[in-house]
Amino acid sequence: MPSSFNNMVKLTIDHIHVEVKEGISVMEAAAILGISIPSMCFRPGFSNHPSCMVCLVKDLDRGNLIPSCAMPVAEGLNILTSSDEIKEARREALELLLSDHLGDCEAPCRLSCPAFMDIPLMNRLIASGNFEKALRVVREEIAIPLILGYICPAPCEKACKRKPIDQAVSICLLKRSAAQYAVKETPAVTDIPVRNGKKTAIIGTGPAGLSAAFYLLRSGNECVLYDQHEKAGGAMQYQIPLDQLPTNILETEIGNIRKMGAEFRLGIRITSELFQQTILGKYDAIVLATGNMTENLTDLFGIQPDEHGAFINKKSFTTSIPGVFACGNIIREQKMAVHSAAQGKMAAREIELYLGLHKQKSVRDIHHKSISAIGHLLEPEWAEYLKESIPDHRIDPSEENLSGFSRQEAIHEAKRCMHCDCRKPLSCKLRLYSEEYDANRKRFAGAERKPITKEVQHEVVVYETEKCIRCGLCVEITQKHGESIGLTFAGRGFDVRISVPFNETISLALTKTAAECVEACPTGALAFKEKEERNL
Amino acid sequence: MDKKNHNIKEKTDQIVAHHGASVDVVIPILQDIQQEFNYLPSPALIRVCETTDITPSLISGISTFYTQFRHKPAGSHRIRVCTGTACHVKGALFVYEAFRRELKLNDDEDTDASWIFTIEQVACLGCCTLAPVVRIDEMTFGHVEPEHVGDILREFLRKKKDNHDSHTSTGILSTDTQGEIRIGLGSCCVASGSSEVKMQLEKTLAQTRIKVDVQQVGCVGICNQVPIMEIIKPGENPAFYARIKPEEVREILLSHFKPTGYVNRVKTGFYSLFENLLADGAPKSFRKYLEEQRDTPLSRFLGPQLNIATENRGVTNPTDIEGYKRAGGFESLRKCLKSMSPQQVIDEINESGLRGRGGAGFPSGRKWQMVKNQQNREKFVICNGDEGDPGAFMDRMLLESYPFRIIEGMLIAGYATGASHGIFYIRAEYPLAVARIDEALKICKEQGITGASIFGSGFSFEIRIFGGAGAFVCGEETALIASVEGKRGLPRMRPPYPAEKGLWEKPTLINNTETLSLVPWIIHHGAQAFSKIGTAGSKGTKVFALAGKVKRGGLIEVPMGITIRQIVEEIGGGIAGDLKFKAVQIGGPSGGCLPASVADMPIDFEALREAGTMMGSGGLIVLDETDCMVDMAHYFLSFTQNQSCGRCTFCRIGTRRMLELLEKIRSGQGKNEDLLNLEKLAHSTSKGSLCGLGKTAPNPVLTTLHYFREEYEAHINGHCPAGKCLPLIHYIILDECIGCTKCAQRCPSDAIGFSPYEKHTIDPEKCIKCDICRQICPVDAIIIQ
Repeated sequence: MPSSFNNMVKLTIDHIHVEVKEGISVMEAAAILGISIPSMCFRPGFSNHPSCMVCLVKDLDRGNLIPSCAMPVAEGLNILTSSDEIKEARREALELLLSDHLGDCEAPCRLSCPAFMDIPLMNRLIASGNFEKALRVVREEIAIPLILGYICPAPCEKACKRKPIDQAVSICLLKRSAAQYAVKETPAVTDIPVRNGKKTAIIGTGPAGLSAAFYLLRSGNECVLYDQHEKAGGAMQYQIPLDQLPTNILETEIGNIRKMGAEFRLGIRITSELFQQTILGKYDAIVLATGNMTENLTDLFGIQPDEHGAFINKKSFTTSIPGVFACGNIIREQKMAVHSAAQGKMAAREIELYLGLHKQKSVRDIHHKSISAIGHLLEPEWAEYLKESIPDHRIDPSEENLSGFSRQEAIHEAKRCMHCDCRKPLSCKLRLYSEEYDANRKRFAGAERKPITKEVQHEVVVYETEKCIRCGLCVEITQKHGESIGLTFAGRGFDVRISVPFNETISLALTKTAAECVEACPTGALAFKEKEERNL
Repeated sequence: MDKKNHNIKEKTDQIVAHHGASVDVVIPILQDIQQEFNYLPSPALIRVCETTDITPSLISGISTFYTQFRHKPAGSHRIRVCTGTACHVKGALFVYEAFRRELKLNDDEDTDASWIFTIEQVACLGCCTLAPVVRIDEMTFGHVEPEHVGDILREFLRKKKDNHDSHTSTGILSTDTQGEIRIGLGSCCVASGSSEVKMQLEKTLAQTRIKVDVQQVGCVGICNQVPIMEIIKPGENPAFYARIKPEEVREILLSHFKPTGYVNRVKTGFYSLFENLLADGAPKSFRKYLEEQRDTPLSRFLGPQLNIATENRGVTNPTDIEGYKRAGGFESLRKCLKSMSPQQVIDEINESGLRGRGGAGFPSGRKWQMVKNQQNREKFVICNGDEGDPGAFMDRMLLESYPFRIIEGMLIAGYATGASHGIFYIRAEYPLAVARIDEALKICKEQGITGASIFGSGFSFEIRIFGGAGAFVCGEETALIASVEGKRGLPRMRPPYPAEKGLWEKPTLINNTETLSLVPWIIHHGAQAFSKIGTAGSKGTKVFALAGKVKRGGLIEVPMGITIRQIVEEIGGGIAGDLKFKAVQIGGPSGGCLPASVADMPIDFEALREAGTMMGSGGLIVLDETDCMVDMAHYFLSFTQNQSCGRCTFCRIGTRRMLELLEKIRSGQGKNEDLLNLEKLAHSTSKGSLCGLGKTAPNPVLTTLHYFREEYEAHINGHCPAGKCLPLIHYIILDECIGCTKCAQRCPSDAIGFSPYEKHTIDPEKCIKCDICRQICPVDAIIIQ
């Protein structure tokens, strides 16, 4: 009936009257008004049999919630797209999906790393021999990888999922290898951007101060570092024995920061007068990274405690004086240098926000929590995870510890990594909406979880069945393009799965539709083997 | 192996040749393959894909969606343990577990080592009054006790063997008859042994040469008294014989009829002389009720009932079209075609106040009008006989017993809406219903009641049967349509409603079986006669399957507006045993449990909805004080959770999480916050699910939480007040034990040691809580604590 394409219907969405073409959905009508409704299972041009129920809206006249993706517009409809009730219903849909979505948004090693370094990605780059890019990945989160490659106690290795199988991946040494065997330094160090005119001062040159300097310099700020000692490095210079951290390693990293344009003013003890006269007010931002302090912050810098008695905000690293930030052991004694290094980095980001260099926090900063996490692997899952790994045991460096891995050993050891992280951290809608709606994966957690499987036979695609939310888009895509085997729904109800008919392999199922399926899949269930990355 | 595969290919090709190669015949093809091989061999499925338009994706999706289909070979015989509501409350799971022990099955096995028996649980065999019920192949066993499952298997195999050896019984032909004998052959009757009674009857008639017409009648509804036989003799009041045993048939016959022929008479007299002297005419083991006697259990059972859908119950042979016509059959259709316009028919239905009997109660006239208003040339009428509620067998009975009435109802609906094709959608578990409708349709076709220009009116209508493949969700009309189209039975978004875009996108009227069966009566007696019956909003009658802890269960048809208490106490005769009436479960898995305190509520769509339950399709299970409400909620939710199509998030995952919470509570591990979470999830699943299944699945939980919250709290405190929830109970032996050792002999887990003449004890570590000892103890010394 061609007339249906010409007929217009009037309806109300969020109290706005709108006239739209008959035959479109409420979701599409809302989009015309600029109202976006979340959805995971909707795809233009497909049957759009509602499944995820994240797109619920309210029919105000009938008083019920309806999936807007499948609800056709109709004369006189009165729709509300946002209210506490709708939000709660969407959140519950997400929480139910999360309760049945088995996978780690972020690998446990990365989550346990105080600096949130993308360890699995680094490992895979090393495994492929690309030490340069591996170092770039490391430097996204860690300014001083070479140093930490010697002295970090590696909490990441304690969380490694490989640990109960045989031994953890030797992450800390791999990080050192990345820095050792990268033929070229990273552009962060070599290609310093044009100065933006902002001047910053950092007091203290320990891991916190050096890290803050690294990230501030990298984004074009000028940076002056003060230290009371004759040599930079703080505790790393003076408290760590040489057999743990050779001097030349420390010098290399400090040299990098110097190369980036930092000015070191060493042997200067900051007194209250000095601070007030030569620092405060002379810089756009100041970082206090002095390490343990015996003096009072009020006496020395004029910082007043807040209503809780705290001198430093532990989240934003701000103090009572605008533009004065603090990080590292000045806040609280840290046992791990990596902790201080992480704080230096985060303080630098806060300063950039303060200086108006960014309008809002980057996605990466919000992404610090893992929406979905599975905890320990079940024994039957070991074999599944090992599919993308090698069975060999952990390598201990052939010579004494200080030398670390040879290039070949590093490549081999990196191959032991099992790829616990999600390959679609940027496009997974479940993660995105769960963050937006503050969904809690534990709220409806199931009694016991099913064992995870990974299908890796396909050349470019991995299918992780337990991440699937059963939207069926991939099934429809394979049907639409006439895949001779394709994908199918198997079973019914809670146990329904997307699988390959007749127990064929995923390679046979996706002969020409792999890319479209990966693109359509709203989670990391169907993903390219290569992880999604931002441009580094 | 190659030969086997070759055979599979050949058979598959034959099946495909029969059905054709289009995508929509995938379900019938799979049904035939399964019929042929007892399961779906992969080579057969692959072959289907090679030779038809059916793709691997489609065939895999379909064959794993419907429970009828098996992907593993099965044993020679299928044991189906009914776990419908009535069976559940009478201990079906004990029976199921007992069979599994008897067959020595491991956790993931369903077939014994010698490939003789395959066991499965089924939602409802529709023999609720004989609960617990087990069907092995076509043989049904009622009132099964766990300790006798071994005997049942042996009896089955013996009978199977006998059947092969014995002659097939010949029909009785007579011209000059002395009277008529009606024998009920509904599923319940057959299950209770009426086939044996019938066989004995035929044998006796042949021997004695008594000339009577033997009428097989459909379900009589008095399922609590089966096997039942009615004797009609000119000049005598009709006499009912209830609960007859085969060995009593001869005597009953002879008390009414005289054998013909001299020799026979003497012989009969001689053989029965001794018996007659002792028994004084009537055997004591069976009950004889005369129809005019007022205060018999039978008259009380039948008294408050009103038969419209079940008019002429127990009188007509289901597939005797002449009998149906004599009782006024097809006159309503004739009246519509000859003297009423389609709009007048719809107006009549509207005026009668008829509402859909499938559960939600949508006004039927309005639905018909919506279909009529559509301008398409092609329209469909579908009779929804996909009755799947555990504890409901109304549709099955109606289809088995009154096939012509439903066909007539469908034809009238077709005429009124302007449709030209009708489909009976009948679930696979009802083979007798399918057979009866099939036979009735053939007769109708022969007589020109279906086909082109019916009664010369110019109205043409064709009807076919579609066998549902076992998915409760297909009772939902959009899922049913998907299923007929050869797809997975997934409900879809409404609107568009099937009345606008239904089967093959054409306007489609879907009515429940009972709804259609009421139509001829309304046309015949007029809308007002129908609307006089019932309440303001709910007109006419409703058929219920009354079962559970009531004295007299059965299939009843009552006027709307009758109270629950009247049904339970007057028709049902109250609670069996000396137990207290606790609640009724009404509306099956979409309904809820109402406590005895609200039993004065009338049967009415709105009243029931306000009470948190719904009319549903008509299951009515009566519960007594030994029934646990948490267990009931768990029971129904595990059913719906299992039957969810799995499409939308709230139903697929929400019902599962609710079930897990209930399991936690039932096992005494629950906390108060679990109760709150359960309630929360129940509300959001109700709100957020796409179709009726998901929207109503939480009702059993919500009603029990509302009316019996203290029972949930008791479980959280580690106590099951009714003594039902296994993790919270223990079996103990009291001092009354006489040391007979029966329990010790039968205990399947050696939890009771032999100690003749002394009090026995149960080792709680070994006890598997199978309930056998408690059932077998002659002095009731074993109790649950």
